[in-house]
Amino acid sequence: MWNFTELQDNARRDIEPVSDKRALEDFRLKYLGKKGLVAEVFASLAAAAPSEKGAIGKGANDLRALVTTLLEQKQSALGDAGKPAGKAVDVTMPGIAAPQGHRHILTQTTEEICAVFEKLGFVLEEGPEIETEFHNFTGLNIPIDHPSRDAFDTFYLKDSKLLLRSHTSPGQVRVMKAHKPPMAVIIPGRVYRPDAVDASHSFMFHQVEGLLVDKDVKFSDLKGLLTEFCRRFFGPSVKMRFRPHYFPFTEPSAEVDISADIFKGTGRKAWLEILGCGMVNPRVFEAVGYPPGKYTGLAFGMGVERMAMLKYGIKDIRLFYENDIRFLRQF
Amino acid sequence: MKLSLNWLKDYVDPRLSTDELVHRLTMAGLEVEAVESAGKDTVLELEITPNRPDCLNTIGLAREISAITAKNLKLPRIKTYRSSKTGGPTVSIEDKKDCPRYIATLIRNASILDSPGWLKERISAIGLKPLNNAVDITNFVLMELGQPLHAFDHDKLEGGRIIVRRSKAGEKITTLDGIERKLDPSVLVIADARKPVAIAGIMGGLGSQITSSTKNILLESAQFDMGLVRRASRMLGLKSDSSYRFERGVDLEGVLTGADRATDLLLELTRGTFENRTDINAARKTKHAAIDISLQDIEGLLGTKVSAAQVKNALARLGLSVAAGKKGRLKIAIPGFRGDLKQEVDIIEEVARTIGYDRLAVSFPHIQVANIAPDSRPRKAREAIAQALAAQGYCEAITYSLINQKDLDQCGFSGPAAALQNALSQEHNLLRPTLLPSLLQAALTNINRGQRDLKLFETGKRYSKDGKESWTLAVLAAGRAQQVGFHHVKGALEAAFRRLNADVVFEPGTYAGLDAAACANIKLSGRPIGAVGKVDRRVLTNWDIKTGEAYFAEVDLQAFGALPLETRKYGPVPEFPAIHRDVSIAVKNDVPYARIEALCRQQGGQMLQGMHLIEEYTGEKIQSGLRGLVFSLVYQSPTRTLREEEVNAAHQKVLQALTRDCGAILR
Repeated sequence: MWNFTELQDNARRDIEPVSDKRALEDFRLKYLGKKGLVAEVFASLAAAAPSEKGAIGKGANDLRALVTTLLEQKQSALGDAGKPAGKAVDVTMPGIAAPQGHRHILTQTTEEICAVFEKLGFVLEEGPEIETEFHNFTGLNIPIDHPSRDAFDTFYLKDSKLLLRSHTSPGQVRVMKAHKPPMAVIIPGRVYRPDAVDASHSFMFHQVEGLLVDKDVKFSDLKGLLTEFCRRFFGPSVKMRFRPHYFPFTEPSAEVDISADIFKGTGRKAWLEILGCGMVNPRVFEAVGYPPGKYTGLAFGMGVERMAMLKYGIKDIRLFYENDIRFLRQF
Repeated sequence: MKLSLNWLKDYVDPRLSTDELVHRLTMAGLEVEAVESAGKDTVLELEITPNRPDCLNTIGLAREISAITAKNLKLPRIKTYRSSKTGGPTVSIEDKKDCPRYIATLIRNASILDSPGWLKERISAIGLKPLNNAVDITNFVLMELGQPLHAFDHDKLEGGRIIVRRSKAGEKITTLDGIERKLDPSVLVIADARKPVAIAGIMGGLGSQITSSTKNILLESAQFDMGLVRRASRMLGLKSDSSYRFERGVDLEGVLTGADRATDLLLELTRGTFENRTDINAARKTKHAAIDISLQDIEGLLGTKVSAAQVKNALARLGLSVAAGKKGRLKIAIPGFRGDLKQEVDIIEEVARTIGYDRLAVSFPHIQVANIAPDSRPRKAREAIAQALAAQGYCEAITYSLINQKDLDQCGFSGPAAALQNALSQEHNLLRPTLLPSLLQAALTNINRGQRDLKLFETGKRYSKDGKESWTLAVLAAGRAQQVGFHHVKGALEAAFRRLNADVVFEPGTYAGLDAAACANIKLSGRPIGAVGKVDRRVLTNWDIKTGEAYFAEVDLQAFGALPLETRKYGPVPEFPAIHRDVSIAVKNDVPYARIEALCRQQGGQMLQGMHLIEEYTGEKIQSGLRGLVFSLVYQSPTRTLREEEVNAAHQKVLQALTRDCGAILR
């Protein structure tokens, strides 16, 4: 018995590479010639069992119909090819596009980070850049005259008790003061620290802060959430590690390092720190007036410039603020 | 903090390769920043977080390593020395809050010599310079136990006494580094009967230092208030290994251990004799904090199962004692050197850290629909405007919010601006009240690099003198006159506002930095929200932008945040054909287009569905004082096909009105 499905597949495969008349004729002969396949199938009818004759006849007819169609299609394709119908176009000339504006890469990166969390159910909040000591420090368990403040060196406003926030974490305090859990918020924004400007420091930069508070938030959730974030942001093959660290407003605290293929060959270290995180310190809940022991939460914060520099291989932080249009137009 | 691995082995042998040890330390929160080999020794440079002053010494790190490698810790045997109620060195403390404990040990007939090889090797491995046996011992004990010490030449202390007091205004001291420092009452000093001989916790004075001729040593081991040391160190701009530790916190019990250890070594190496000791301790009896915790508390917060044995072993190696509490809970006594452990979560972190974060479970949080519904309109409005501008070919800039007075002066901006108290430089000491200097700076950078015809925008904050901030849109188009113009910027803004369906009008006006001849104020629902116009030539000259023109717009975005999110409504797509009639007229220069448009719409009635400007021209082909306008009028009915005759009639009416009411000459 013939395998007609296979014969049809063969015919389709055989016609594919045919690109000239000679090859087309070869194809025709192979299937429809006197000693061709279709003829061979018909010839086999004579010796076939009566019960099979109907199927063989139908198979042969179908195959002949298919080959005929294929031949005709190919014939018309070959016939028209190379016959220009109108004025020739230089297809190698550059395409014409409307002038394009570009969003700043920091805006795009912020948006990309926030979008990951917004899709997971976080809502976006924004806080002011000009802040109070309470929101920037005290409410976050950062005491005055303590070395833990060194990491958050801060600009103060003249003739005022106000300051420029040195991180986006004051947004946590504001959100918690204004709302009761459950909550899942993401807070992007500009922050300021009196760091002299060089290739990796800037007195102004951007952060994204995240906060999730509920009755039973666990450290394992923090690991799961940020692992998911890193996979979505840096790609599924990214490797991560959580390393103990210290932040006054979280306990336990961690820093997250990543190691990703995109850094291969860039001469960077094996592990790169990308964010700080931890479980919300009960002192912070106390400062915002939540009842003791009722809630747990996780919080994290990351630098947008750092994320963009790692992801796009930007080596100098100053490029972000120079706004050279040849830089802006790359993204 | 530098850690010598040879020195470490005096207390614990981790039996690990250096790489493995570095990895384990890093994964326990003691990040190793560098590994250096120093002869036969290897020295690790660790970043110790400010909550862990107990790790700022070799034994502290040995304890951590013992916990994370489960190897035993062996501590040096230290003799104890008694203090006497009377007859010891005279010590008085003005305020015990400033100095909770002070131990003064007097050693007589010491020989100040070079230190033996083992001592020199230990301290020089971690970067300290050997001086003499007495000083080297104080440094050794500091780096071994973390207790800062100071050795005075007793005979140089006037009256042979020690007074711990605030400095008097105008007092001075020359510190060991040879620099004379002015003191004030915010600084705690160690004084003799007459003058300061050391800045408490920071650095000793040159006058009372140990020299080769010193015979009698007064050894100070004390605790000073951490905030006080920190403030004084910052005020004087003087840091030392001692101040670094004091401002992070020094263990009250360690004050005695440190004194004993140093006394042991001083007696051994200087061959002096122990005379007597004074110990002033405000606390008298140290109370050890205790934290009550259950395994469920630990597992609950970590989301990981832990065993009682695991918890007990790890905590015990860290020097915490674990006892059974009520109802299967654990009662954990906190040693004095772990002042950072205050709450249950602190213990949970210790457990997590010693297990290893990487070995803790992973889960995904249950994210409930938050009961927060922030007003998303301001952000959406900003986003819509930014996208519209990008679609018009404008590139988004992000510029510094900090500028200076000269920037403002050069822009012709005379309003007040909020200033920083501790600016890094005079270049960035004001919070910008306008974005004009920011975008001019960005333009200048580009122009100087050979770029021209720039279209930039920024959505950022501007700030008022009293610390209020508001989201602001700024747009700048700069370049050759034929490439940029007032109406380009206006058109981009209109396209942006159209996305918000905002009722925005442009009226002739003035704005700081803009040329009044080409400036419009922008109003949203009748309220002024900003301006658009040509940047004044003088402003460009001030900014050193010598060629071309620049157009700038600044718009308050807060106002858009209050608009309803969606006000657009569907209107039927026209079914019947439109008839276009182009009109070419010449009018006097002072007849505004808005007046012509209003007249056309009024006269054209319902049939006139649209009016589009095709071009404006001035020049030789037209009489002076006049300008030519070409526009297209669109006649259309939603219900039927218009007849030629009725369109002609309506169009004639419009043309007649233009001639009659606007003085237009039909061309």
